[in-house]
Amino acid sequence: MTATALPRRWFLSDHPLPWLAPLIAMLAVFAVYPLFYNIWLSFHEYAPFRRKLEYVGWSNWGALFSDQRLADSLTVTFTYFFVALAIQLVLGMALALLLDSDAPGFGFLRGALTLTLVIPPAVTGMMFLLMQDPEFGVISYVLLNLGLITPQTPILASPATALAGVILADVWQWTPFMVLIFLAGLRALPQEPYEAAMIDGASWWMTFRRITLPMMSKVIAVAILIRGIDLFRVFDYVFVMTSGGPGTATYTLNYYAWQQTFSFIKWGYGATLSLLTLAIILIMANLFIWLAKVRW
Amino acid sequence: MVGARFPRVMRQLAAWVAVAFFAFPIFYWFTTAFKSAKDIFDKPPSVWTFTPTLRNFEEVFGISLGFLRQQEVLPGGGNFYMAPRLWDSIVIAVLSTLLAVAIATLAAYALSRMRFRGRHHFVAWVLSTRMMPPVAVAIPMFFIFRDTGLMDTYQGVILVHALMNLPLAVLLMKSFFDDIPAEIDESAIIDGASRWLIFRRVVLPMARGGIAATAVLCFIFSWTEFLFVLTLTQTGLKTVPVVSSTFVTSTGTAWGNMAALGAAAMIPAFIFILLVQRHLVRGLTLGSLKQ
Repeated sequence: MTATALPRRWFLSDHPLPWLAPLIAMLAVFAVYPLFYNIWLSFHEYAPFRRKLEYVGWSNWGALFSDQRLADSLTVTFTYFFVALAIQLVLGMALALLLDSDAPGFGFLRGALTLTLVIPPAVTGMMFLLMQDPEFGVISYVLLNLGLITPQTPILASPATALAGVILADVWQWTPFMVLIFLAGLRALPQEPYEAAMIDGASWWMTFRRITLPMMSKVIAVAILIRGIDLFRVFDYVFVMTSGGPGTATYTLNYYAWQQTFSFIKWGYGATLSLLTLAIILIMANLFIWLAKVRW
Repeated sequence: MVGARFPRVMRQLAAWVAVAFFAFPIFYWFTTAFKSAKDIFDKPPSVWTFTPTLRNFEEVFGISLGFLRQQEVLPGGGNFYMAPRLWDSIVIAVLSTLLAVAIATLAAYALSRMRFRGRHHFVAWVLSTRMMPPVAVAIPMFFIFRDTGLMDTYQGVILVHALMNLPLAVLLMKSFFDDIPAEIDESAIIDGASRWLIFRRVVLPMARGGIAATAVLCFIFSWTEFLFVLTLTQTGLKTVPVVSSTFVTSTGTAWGNMAALGAAAMIPAFIFILLVQRHLVRGLTLGSLKQ
């Protein structure tokens, strides 16, 4: 058999392996191997004076249970996750209902909304950093004049409001994601149930709760799953806007893991934290997929 | 119809106001790019009233836009000469997209057309790689890249960005292939065509629109990616999102320059996203919802 005959014979066959081989190779080298490397790393720690990784047994894993910063970051991450997700879902649904119309101009508005999705999140963070600047930021200026904040409590530098400031950037950038998905769902709904509801004299809210929401459940589930995975991994906004501060007010899990690894050179502990993040995401996402019966 | 009782004019008004809220930060960022330092630090913030200047763009891209307006030529680019960084972003986004789409298209065809044991598990596994937190990939990659010399190279970042986009590309291409009736393949096989021939001559041309949409989304996600580039590069290359964050210095933030670079980086992404509106929802949901 010549060298060129091999792939040709393979492609003629009906076996999926040659088709999947590049994907499997890529994922094996860049997803599976790193995962095992990470697990190996979590049992080691960098010794700064001897300048090498040393075996430390389970101590990194044990440290998880007594780490106050980790407890703080879990609180921040889950708060961020649930608050941002709830706002984006409700606001996204409201806007989708508002924009679900064929009246002139609405196509343009739907297109305009998609623009936020392609801005680099790091740049979005910068935009909101500028707009929330206590000295010359436009959002700060408006809130100050509305009496919602005081000059002594800048949004991103006050423990009470910093997380809200970061979530604002997230909500701005990703609510349109929900709007687009919900709009696609709304547009695909059959009309008959609505006609029947109208004949029965059902109220708008009744129609929404009993007809629209149930029929949209699959769409909503997919939106929650995809947005949820990304919300739990939030990093860019935190990195550029607050660096986790003030204190631990915006310390998300992903940022904490990154900082431990690359700022404090605690390779082993950083790897352990990143594995913890992965475990939480996998458990939550798969539980959700199973409960909500999402299928691909 | 949902909300049919909402008076029509009120609804129009509400829709425009709502979208205006989302458009405002982009508008404000673009105006910042045309503001001089003095106008940026205005108090109260100026939205309309400022003297537009091209200075920020000239400094960032190291070119004189004097043909538009008479002014002195800049001496060889300022402190924030960023044109090479735009080039880095383009090279990485284009090549990682090509790699991801090529691998994903082959795999997606098999996942769409061939029946084999464990197919559903394989799809679920591909999806689960999407759930990896970037930091869990970046840490081991840092060591692997350091040991293999991929650190701070185009090849390294391209491979990681392709990897990052593979779950999306595979699932999305699978959904586009699923739309093409399998009878076409089957009748061609009866006529004696090989799988490879069918794929190349029949299925691939029919999936052109889907491939384009997949490529655009891969391009955008690579174009906007932050953490991997931040972690796996040092001085050799940097993409736009990462250099943007370096405008924050100990002596203050170069808002005008940052806005100019950011605005320039948004334009191609805006154009691309408007080209794939039709497949956007399907893309954003990894092929799970069709428009």
